[in-house]
Amino acid sequence: MRLSDALCELVQAMTDTTTPILSLRGIGKAYGPVVAVREVDLDIFAGEVVAICGDNGAGKSSLIKVVSGAEEATSGTLQMRGKEVVFASPHDALSHGVATIYQDLALAPRLSIAQNVFMGSELTRPMLLPFLRVLDKKKMAQAARGFLKQLSVTVEDMDRPVERLSGGQRQAVAISRALRWKAEIIIMDEPTAALGVKETALVLDLIRKLKADGRTVLLISHNMRDVVALADRVVIMGAGRKYVDRPLGDLTADDLSHMIMAGNARAA
Amino acid sequence: MREIIGRYGTALAGLALIVFFVVFAPNFATTMNVVNVLKDTSFLAILALGFALAFTVAELDLSIAEMASLSAVVCGWLVQLQYPPLVAVLAALSVGALLGGLNGYGVTVLRIPSLIMTLGTAAIAKGFAFMITQGVAFVGRWPVSFTGLARGYTFGIPNLVLWLTGVTLFAWGLVKWTRTGAHMVATGEADEAARLSGIATGKMKRIGLLLSGILAAITAVLLAANLSSAAPNMAGDYLLYAIAAVLLGMTMFEPGKPNVPGTVFAALVLKVLGNGLVLLGAPYYVQDIVLGVIIIGSVAFSASVMKKAAFKV
Repeated sequence: MRLSDALCELVQAMTDTTTPILSLRGIGKAYGPVVAVREVDLDIFAGEVVAICGDNGAGKSSLIKVVSGAEEATSGTLQMRGKEVVFASPHDALSHGVATIYQDLALAPRLSIAQNVFMGSELTRPMLLPFLRVLDKKKMAQAARGFLKQLSVTVEDMDRPVERLSGGQRQAVAISRALRWKAEIIIMDEPTAALGVKETALVLDLIRKLKADGRTVLLISHNMRDVVALADRVVIMGAGRKYVDRPLGDLTADDLSHMIMAGNARAA
Repeated sequence: MREIIGRYGTALAGLALIVFFVVFAPNFATTMNVVNVLKDTSFLAILALGFALAFTVAELDLSIAEMASLSAVVCGWLVQLQYPPLVAVLAALSVGALLGGLNGYGVTVLRIPSLIMTLGTAAIAKGFAFMITQGVAFVGRWPVSFTGLARGYTFGIPNLVLWLTGVTLFAWGLVKWTRTGAHMVATGEADEAARLSGIATGKMKRIGLLLSGILAAITAVLLAANLSSAAPNMAGDYLLYAIAAVLLGMTMFEPGKPNVPGTVFAALVLKVLGNGLVLLGAPYYVQDIVLGVIIIGSVAFSASVMKKAAFKV
């Protein structure tokens, strides 16, 4: 393939709003005899915020673990821009541009901001000999500061351990790590759980910034007000199945809660 | 000021201890004694650095002393049989690497907790060491090309000190300046977070335990070369001292974390303490009591530092 053709294909892929950026086809996940996810089909399009809702045990987290590469599906396939992919590990998902921010943020509390942002993808520079590469700590600190600035979060000392940051700042560090991986799709699992009012507002703002930046966000949340504030589309799951997939439109938080309860009743 | 005391407080206390012995312990500050303390520190520090690297990936390697004993026995056996020293050294390093690799396999593939796995490896190593020696140490007039590894001098500096410097620079460079070291640290600090960030945490744990085995073997070679002998239990006493060095090291420079400069300095402090107490005429059992107090005190100090750090927002 010529370079110009490749570039055309890339530009076409990035501007194509009809081909889903991520497709799930017949995804199932079982833990021994317990079936957590059953035959889920889902298309995610570039730039949208899709909220995945459901009660405890609905299968949201299991589905997300499959998409993030943390666990392999028992059945079904994943496609990125129409091409089948296999996420056998989180690294596979990250290298395909799918980053996950877990509820506990998956940060190393005693490590610095820069170390957390670049965890698993550290920058290096040659030292003395071309093949002898050492960590480029200065560049990592600068870049980490840049990612946080992009999210309008200011922290001067990039060597500060993450355990000394506020909840919202920690969320920003986790998002910065996703940005570091140049993630096109960012999965956020209960991003505002256990946060105060002020911190929650900061995190919602961060998600809006991601959307404005053209990134796709998969939001898992129990907080229907957050969902209404952010989502373009809502997917509701119950007993491992997807039974609602529609644009948010004028649905209210109460409407969504009723839909989840109705789904539970149907699953029972 | 509080941060400085937290970071350097125990190191300064160690320096004060050295000054105390210089002033009060007879013959402490003589050249011969200082060189002997430094040489003795080298064995302990190299072994302890292996333990520290395994501890960096949050694994305990309780087999270091027995791995060192078996490696020394294999090395001494081959030297005794008049194999070239290089062959003996390579064989000893292979034993360390093999046992370190076995620990890594057991911990990451068989999912055996490192405490149990390395105790098992220690027992296996001890058994083989006695099997090879039949309980009798290898002793002889070994070639200078071998004994010189530990007893020799290069540019007026004892080779043991040069070995320690090389190993320290390697361990420090690895942990502080390489991607592998960063992955090891992340694995030790937050295993699951590291895995979810795409780090091969199992591989990092295997590397930590493998290096621990190799450094135990290097210690073994130097011990055998220094003593011109190899006994099946020759490194047995070093286990507690190595653990104490790592734990005491965790109270300085990077409080709460296993770290290279802290481990080396703590090894020096422990050896100075042992030597100084002997010179002051303290009974032999005082050293054991002091060692126990240091181990418990270090962990208590590290735990309090970690708690303080966690709540300091």
